[in-house]
Amino acid sequence: MTTTEPRQEAVDSITVQVIGNALLSIAEEAGTMLRRASYSTNIKERADCSTAIFDGAGRLIAQAEHIPIHMGSMAGAVGRLSGRIPGYEQIAVRPGDVFITNDPYAGGGTHLPDITMVAPVFTDGLIVGWSANIAHHSDVGGHVPGSNSGDSTTLFMEGLRIPLVKIVSEGEVVDDVLAFVLLNSRLPEERYGDLLAQQSAAAIGAQRFVELHEKYGTEVVGIASHELLGYAERRLQLAVEAVPDGEYTFTDWLDPDREGEDRIPIVATVRVSGTRIALDFAGTGREATVAVNVVRSALEATVYYALKAALDPGIPANGGFFDAVEISAPEGTILNPRQPAPVAARTDTCQRIVDAIFGALAQALPDRIPAGSHSSITYVNFSGLGDNFYVYPEVIAGGAGARPKADGLDAVQVHVTNSSNLPIESLETEYPLLVEAYELVQDSGGAGLHRGGLAIRRDIRILGDGAEFSAHADRQSLPPAGYGGGLNGTPGRFTVRPGGPDERVLPGGRVSGVLLRGGDIMRVQSPGAGGFGSPLERDPQSVLTDVLDGRVSAVAARDIYAVVLDGATVDAAATSALRSQRKAD
Amino acid sequence: MRIGVDVGGTFTDITALDDDGAFHIGKIPSTPDDQSVALSDGVRGVLERVGASASTVDYLGHGTTVATNTLLELNGSSTALVVTRGFRDVLEIARQKRPSLYDLFAQKPRVLVPRRLVFEVDERLAGDGTEIRGVREDDLERLLLELSAVDVDAVAICFLHSYRDDAHERQVADAIRQRFPERYVTRSSEVAPEFREYERLSTTVINAFVGPRMHGYVSRLERRSRDLGVPVSPKIIQSNGGVVSPDSIVRRPVTTLLSGPSAGVLGAAWVAAQSGHRDLVTFDMGGTSTDVCLVRDGRALVASERSIDGYVVRTPSANVHTVGAGGGSIARVDGAGALQVGPRSAGARPGPAAYGFGGTQATVTDANVLLGRQNPDQIIGDDLRLDVGAAERVVGKIGDGLGVNVHDAALGVVRVANSHMARAVRQVSVDNGDDPRDLALVAYGGAGPLHAIEVAREVGMRTVLVPPHPGTLCALGLLVSEVRTELLRSSLIDIAGDAAPLRAVIAELREAAEQWFDRERIPTAERSTRFVLDMRYQRQNFELQVDVGDGDVRDEHLDEIVARFHETHRRSYGFAHPGSTVRIVNVTVIAAQPVQAPVAPLLPERDAGDAASVIARREVRFEEVGALSAEIHDRELLRAGDVIVGPAVIEQQDSTTVLPPATRSVVDPFGTLIVEVRA
Repeated sequence: MTTTEPRQEAVDSITVQVIGNALLSIAEEAGTMLRRASYSTNIKERADCSTAIFDGAGRLIAQAEHIPIHMGSMAGAVGRLSGRIPGYEQIAVRPGDVFITNDPYAGGGTHLPDITMVAPVFTDGLIVGWSANIAHHSDVGGHVPGSNSGDSTTLFMEGLRIPLVKIVSEGEVVDDVLAFVLLNSRLPEERYGDLLAQQSAAAIGAQRFVELHEKYGTEVVGIASHELLGYAERRLQLAVEAVPDGEYTFTDWLDPDREGEDRIPIVATVRVSGTRIALDFAGTGREATVAVNVVRSALEATVYYALKAALDPGIPANGGFFDAVEISAPEGTILNPRQPAPVAARTDTCQRIVDAIFGALAQALPDRIPAGSHSSITYVNFSGLGDNFYVYPEVIAGGAGARPKADGLDAVQVHVTNSSNLPIESLETEYPLLVEAYELVQDSGGAGLHRGGLAIRRDIRILGDGAEFSAHADRQSLPPAGYGGGLNGTPGRFTVRPGGPDERVLPGGRVSGVLLRGGDIMRVQSPGAGGFGSPLERDPQSVLTDVLDGRVSAVAARDIYAVVLDGATVDAAATSALRSQRKAD
Repeated sequence: MRIGVDVGGTFTDITALDDDGAFHIGKIPSTPDDQSVALSDGVRGVLERVGASASTVDYLGHGTTVATNTLLELNGSSTALVVTRGFRDVLEIARQKRPSLYDLFAQKPRVLVPRRLVFEVDERLAGDGTEIRGVREDDLERLLLELSAVDVDAVAICFLHSYRDDAHERQVADAIRQRFPERYVTRSSEVAPEFREYERLSTTVINAFVGPRMHGYVSRLERRSRDLGVPVSPKIIQSNGGVVSPDSIVRRPVTTLLSGPSAGVLGAAWVAAQSGHRDLVTFDMGGTSTDVCLVRDGRALVASERSIDGYVVRTPSANVHTVGAGGGSIARVDGAGALQVGPRSAGARPGPAAYGFGGTQATVTDANVLLGRQNPDQIIGDDLRLDVGAAERVVGKIGDGLGVNVHDAALGVVRVANSHMARAVRQVSVDNGDDPRDLALVAYGGAGPLHAIEVAREVGMRTVLVPPHPGTLCALGLLVSEVRTELLRSSLIDIAGDAAPLRAVIAELREAAEQWFDRERIPTAERSTRFVLDMRYQRQNFELQVDVGDGDVRDEHLDEIVARFHETHRRSYGFAHPGSTVRIVNVTVIAAQPVQAPVAPLLPERDAGDAASVIARREVRFEEVGALSAEIHDRELLRAGDVIVGPAVIEQQDSTTVLPPATRSVVDPFGTLIVEVRA
């Protein structure tokens, strides 16, 4: 195997950009193919998939981005195949091969439902690149339907582990491997359609990449790829240069992994020196006993999200980014687990990593970083009891942190996820469930000069024989932090039969096997976000608007914001007197 | 005489087709305060020029941006919203996605109804349409009392599952209309009776938000048309490419939001079809952006939902994809040394530096002027000449940033803009399973023909069509559109041997269509209806359409309908599941009065006495070959059968076509330039 070593011959910067756009087109076309040919709703409609093109050396040069957590998730597989990641036995790669893997430890994945496929790209008998894609499959076996459990205690409970093997060999599907994978899913028909779609997408990406080489020549494409990587690296370096040199540390906490245990600290230390940035997670807590561990590729994807969002959203999605940042996490911690530590619900922790990195960066860039967001996946799952078996999964959004110059957004997904809800009119048609309320929660956003985003409350009534409830959610013990004098937000909570005589608040966010009777209501409340700046500095008119719109109660307006209202107007004199008194206290 | 009038941001275009089959074109400045003023003046002007009386006008088609501008500028009516108890935040929560994946400072679009103006009613239907709680009189009275305490001009009503049974919405709407006759009242079961509460609600709220203003505009329009002496009532084009009466538009102004791009696509598809091309991508490049749309077998691909500045609208429209690259797109060299073009635009003011209105940043137009592609001696507006020196200064700065001379910088700006547009053309093609190399590109808009051929080459397309009048295709689209509407019922039907439930829905829609025809005053003999089913596999969450023609569906047809769904699924996605349960989700009737499609006038062939089309030569720069001496042709002087080989530039009043070296173009019998592109 050889790789294209870029020479010093110049390819003008315009051509580099034209090739960059063409590479994006290739990744986009592969992504379109994947969605069109896939069977499951999760890939086809929710686009829980990504496609990418790598150069011959195994460096990511273009990715069609849908889901931040997928960034870099394919690099593990390609790195093992290309030899870029040392320590793996070399596998013979031939034209027409397609490789498959989902394993977080042996294949570079992040959790088992995300299956990666990789096809080599050959011109003149040499490997000049790789076409890869990743898709979230709705079931790969394991102890819960959906293979997305919060409370598994070992990877072996989470589903089928697929090492890096060929699923297509020189153009022929390896039926033995395919049969093996299909038998291990609760929905083999769906898997079959989705896996074929991934193969087709890998193949079309490879074919288009060959055509690009034919159009511009291998050498020019190689140099352009190198330039594109350099560009992403420079973009990050420029953004880092604007951050004051120093060492910034922030600790955030994950809810206890089991009842009776302590919270798990996530410690981010950001070191900035000139154009270099290093993220060190020393001090972070031990490996979790449940599925919230984060392997290397998931940690890298999370760091990519956090730095891109905080420093420069225009950084292109390619591997050059990782040349400009150093990431380390001590072995045996929740951010560098040893196999077979369980990982299915890794995104809860990824969200907390972002909070910790933002917390550290806020010390250096107080004008740029929002206060703490809900940062919980709040994944809930209802499955039917009795004759009418069904599975209804949902992810509930929450508040986004107040910004240094604006309120936080109400009721949105944040950080490494951005998935949409299922329409209520769809779910009530498909499942014996009735939604009684779906609304913003008053006073759930942390008060401040700028208010934190509000949480969501959804009340779901169980119809029919009853249902079993399972969930993984975080931020149920510690609310999102307020910044710069802003108040904290509010934690999330699951409540069975709210307001009734036998109301019960569940002990935490990671639960399974909660039995609900027909007629019961399950109240799901997500966390509200932290505020920014002192509530006493908030424009009284904004407080009035929030009160009139029911986002803030009249009581909170007086007690927390010290705003005195007279009907639908602000009593300016009384407000100013009250605020002076509060500040003096 | 048939007349089409399209209102754009800067100009109002008039296209008239006289009874002898000849086209007449007019262009006058738009009148944003009341768009019908320019319409009236423009039509009068064209009639005077042709020497025809207004009484000979038997069709007046109109494209208006009143609703679109009202939404984009957020200056619509103060609106109240009435919803099912427990769901006052559906508009705020939407689909719970954030507006930008990485931009922490992005804002959600401002909600059109503040939370304090959202009122709940204690009513509820179940998912199957059965009533859980009816509307109580005391609760309704409480609502009316609350509504009387707020100052609003419009009220939108949207209850859960109202697409199954509109009785509750109807009851509440009637009560509100009765109590507040001066308010514009609209309900979701009338505007967008489809399942998925957020999208239906959003569409209904936008309808209310733009409704009163559209109502006022339409009244003025009808009056001016009458004053002109036009004997017919004007027809207004909707996003679906069909025209309807002013009454229909007042009821559902939301259906016009995307009518502009749709009309253009309609005109482009018509021109291309005359020349024998039915599978194509339309390419409409203007000042700030470029719209591309896939046309298959002569018809634009339809999108059932669009987002306009973040506001979701569920009405059918041409599936136009917009990319932020246009003549006014700003070029800059970023900190890491890359040339970026767009999506920021200099707009009409200050505009490109070359226009001399104070623009200080390099734009795509400035680059085109420096490359000799756009005539540097061109006169713009009131005897103003282009300021080539200004273009040189701003593009020169780009060159300094890149370390190249001003001409290479200009070429770079054009190449980067072209590569963005090429990506968009590829996207609309492959999104629908087409290989762009099998399609023709139809270039229009002021800047389309300047860039289309290089874009086609980048994508690998072999044919580019440039219509005779690339600047007025929207007005042309108005001439060839039919009177048409779509009426839809969401109705979950299992297909299992019994056609009765489907027949019942179809009968209901047929009745609704007849009522619509009556309102549009369409003679019985000219009424055409076609039924389309949205179908899916059970528990899938996306639908495909199956056409069932006249809707005469009997038990023995069901197997065939299911088989056609499987086949459509196979064609669209490459596979089908013949064993799985198939469901009907929506039934749509397309009610239309087909138009007698005009035939494009023929351009004569060259006569011995015709003047040569070459009017000048100038230096024009191209990628790889540099500066070449190119022939400049006057489009007006071209004749059918003329062949022009690049490098050449073809100039006309509303557009400029650039033919790079090694391209050959022929003027076809209709005057359309058919350009062969070589790789």
